[in-house]
Amino acid sequence: MVRVRRWILLAAAFTAVSLGARAQVRARSSGPVVVSAAVSLTEVLQQLAPIYQKRTGDRVVLNVGSSNTLARQIAFGAGADLFISADEAQMNAVAAQIDPGSRVDLLSNQLAIAVPDDRPRTMASARDLLDPAIRRIAIGDPAAVPAGVYAKQYLQSLGIWPDLEKKVIPSASVRLALAAVESGAADAAIVYHTDVATAGHAREALIIPASDGPRIVYPAAIVRAGKNPDGGRRLLAFLRTAEATAVFIRAGFLPPIAARN
Amino acid sequence: MNAEIRDIAIFTTLAALAATAVMLVPGVAVAWVLARRQFPGKSLVETVVSLPLVMPPVATGLLLLWLFSRRGPAGALLARAGIEIVFTPAAVVIAMAVMGLPLLVRTARAGFEQVTRRYEQIAETLGAGPWRVFSTVTLPLAARNILAGAMLGFSRALGEFGATIVVAGSIPGRTRTLAVGIYSFTETGQDRQAAMLLVISVSIAFVAVLASNRLARDA
Amino acid sequence: MAAFELDFTLQQGEFTLDFIVHVEARALALFGPSGSGKTSALEAIAGLRAPRRGRIVVNGHVLYESDRHINTPVRHRRTGYVPQDILLFPHLNVRENVTYGRREGNRPDLHVLVDLLELSALMDRRVASLSGGERQRVAMARALYSGPDVLLLDEPLAAVDLPRRRRIVDALLGIRDELSVPLIYVTHLPEEALTVADWAVLIDNGRIAASGPPRDVMPAD
Repeated sequence: MVRVRRWILLAAAFTAVSLGARAQVRARSSGPVVVSAAVSLTEVLQQLAPIYQKRTGDRVVLNVGSSNTLARQIAFGAGADLFISADEAQMNAVAAQIDPGSRVDLLSNQLAIAVPDDRPRTMASARDLLDPAIRRIAIGDPAAVPAGVYAKQYLQSLGIWPDLEKKVIPSASVRLALAAVESGAADAAIVYHTDVATAGHAREALIIPASDGPRIVYPAAIVRAGKNPDGGRRLLAFLRTAEATAVFIRAGFLPPIAARN
Repeated sequence: MNAEIRDIAIFTTLAALAATAVMLVPGVAVAWVLARRQFPGKSLVETVVSLPLVMPPVATGLLLLWLFSRRGPAGALLARAGIEIVFTPAAVVIAMAVMGLPLLVRTARAGFEQVTRRYEQIAETLGAGPWRVFSTVTLPLAARNILAGAMLGFSRALGEFGATIVVAGSIPGRTRTLAVGIYSFTETGQDRQAAMLLVISVSIAFVAVLASNRLARDA
Repeated sequence: MAAFELDFTLQQGEFTLDFIVHVEARALALFGPSGSGKTSALEAIAGLRAPRRGRIVVNGHVLYESDRHINTPVRHRRTGYVPQDILLFPHLNVRENVTYGRREGNRPDLHVLVDLLELSALMDRRVASLSGGERQRVAMARALYSGPDVLLLDEPLAAVDLPRRRRIVDALLGIRDELSVPLIYVTHLPEEALTVADWAVLIDNGRIAASGPPRDVMPAD
C-alpha cells in the first residue's frame, strides 16, 4: 500500500507543479491559508494542518513542490499566503514578492544517502558513492533544486564532485530523486534525512551530520500577493510554537541553524 | 547557439527518427489486422492501442516506468541481460514510440480500409498468395496514408514531454530532449537556454507542418 | 473446349439462384436481365463468392463441392477473372499489370498475347491514361497471362463504345480459337452471345430458363 502511496505522491507532485500557478484562492476574511511549501515538508505539514484548523478554524491549503518551482510561481504572481523554501537562494529569488519583515528561518535539515531496499547497504562516508557498483546517483537538479544544490555543494566540499558528476541523474524535485531509488532506477540518491522515512522501498545508507554537511536553511515569509496575509502570519506564528516544533523534530527536522561566520 | 543546445536538437531529432522506425512495423501490422480481420477481443485491442492518446502522457510515463524499472516485468527480464532502460536514451525512444504509435495505427488503418478488397481479390485470382497480395497491392495502395501516419508519429515524438520526463528524466547530454529541456531550463531559471530551445522547437514544428501540408496537397 | 459441371445454389437474402449447367463448350455465355444473378454466378466460379451448396467442376478439377467440404481458395483455382469494372492495379503500369500473374504452366507467350490484344504500344503507359477499350484488353491480357484453365468475363463489351466493340469481339474470338482458352462470359446483349459463344444459358427468375446453342436460346429480336 505504501508503494501505491508513493506513486500517488509522485503524481500529486506533478499535478501540484502544474496547478500551483493557478492556485488563486477566493478572498474570505478568516478563509483558507495557501501555503507554498518545499516538497520535503509534505507529510509534516499534513500532520500540522488539521491541528491548526481545529485550533483556529482556518483551512490550510497545501501547495507543495520543488522550491525553485514554487519560487517561479510566486515570481509570476501566484497568490500564496505563506512561502516556505528549502533554501535561501529560492527565497532570495522572490525578495520582491515577499514582505521582508516577515522573513524568518524556520527549520534546518540533514542530507542523507538513500539506497533501494532490495540492495541495502550502509556507507561509511559519501566517498562510498565512488564505488563502481553505484552507477547512477539521483539528486535534485543541482542547477536550482535546493536538495540538489546542497548535494553538489557537499560533494564539492569533499572534492569528489568531478568524479561523480557523470553518474548524476538530475531530478525535478528531491522526492523524484527518492522515487528513482525506490524503483531501482538509481543505485543511490542524495535526499533529506526526513525524506527517507516517507519511502516504502528505500533505506538510509548514511546520514550526513549537520556539522559535516552544508548549512541547510528553510526560510519562511509572507507573500504580498496572497489573499489572506493575516491568515498567513497566524499560521507562521503557529509553526514557530513549541508544539509545532516538537512535531518537526519528531519527523527528523532540525531547529534553524544560525549562519556560520 | 552553443554546443549544448545544438546537441539537444540533434539528439531529439535522432531519437524521434528512431522512435518512428521502431513503431513502423508493429504499427502497420496492427493497423492491417484491425482493418482486415475480425476476432474476439478486437475492441479490447483497439482500446489498448488508443490509450496513450487518451491518457495523460505523465500517466503513460508512469506505466512505462513501472514496466521497465528493475522490479517491473520487462525491466526485470532486461536486467538479467544487463540492459537498463530507465533514464537512458532508449527510454526516450520508447516513450516517443509509445506516444506516437496510436496516431500511426489510426492513420494507417484508415489507409488500409480505403484500399478496396476487390483489388486484393483480383490479385488472388491471378495466383498471388497472402503475403504477395499484401506487399504488392495492399501496402503500395495504402502507402500514402502510412507515410502520413508515420509523419504524425514523428511529429508527436519530437514534441513528447510527459512520458519522456517520467521514464527518461532530463539528464544533460543523455536524455534531455527539446521539450524536456525547455521544462528543466525554465524550472531552474535558465531562461536564455529555454528560449533558444523554444526557437528551435517552433522552427522544427513550422517545417514539419509545412511539409505535411505539401504532402496532403499533392495527394 | 472445356467440360463444365456447374451445379450450385446461390443465396443472398431473398434472392436464390439454382444454377445448373453441364456442358462441353469453348465459350459459354450467361445471359439474362439485370439482377438475375449472372455476375454472382461468375463470382462463385471464380471463388469470390460462396454458394450455399453445390458443385463446381471445370475440366475435371473440383473447385467446389459442398458435400465433401471442398472450397478451393481463389489463388489455387486457375480461373482468370475480368470484372465489369476492370480494376487494373492503379499503382502499376500496363506491363506490370499484365505480368502480375505468376502461376506455373500453361501460360501463353507474352508476345503472342500482346499481339493478339494489340497492346504493344501501350506496355509502358500508366493505367490512368487508358481508354475504356484499352483497359478491357489490358485486363484480359492480365488474366490470360496467369495461365488460367478458364477465363471469366463480366460484361466485356460494357466499358467499350460501339465503334470499338468489334476489337474486343475479335480479341475474344482470338482467345477462344488461337489461345484455346475456354471462356465464360456474362452479357445482357444478345448479339454478344451470338458472336462468340457456342453455348448460351438464359437465367431468369432464379433458375436456368434455357440452355443450348445461342441461336436456340436467344429471344427473338
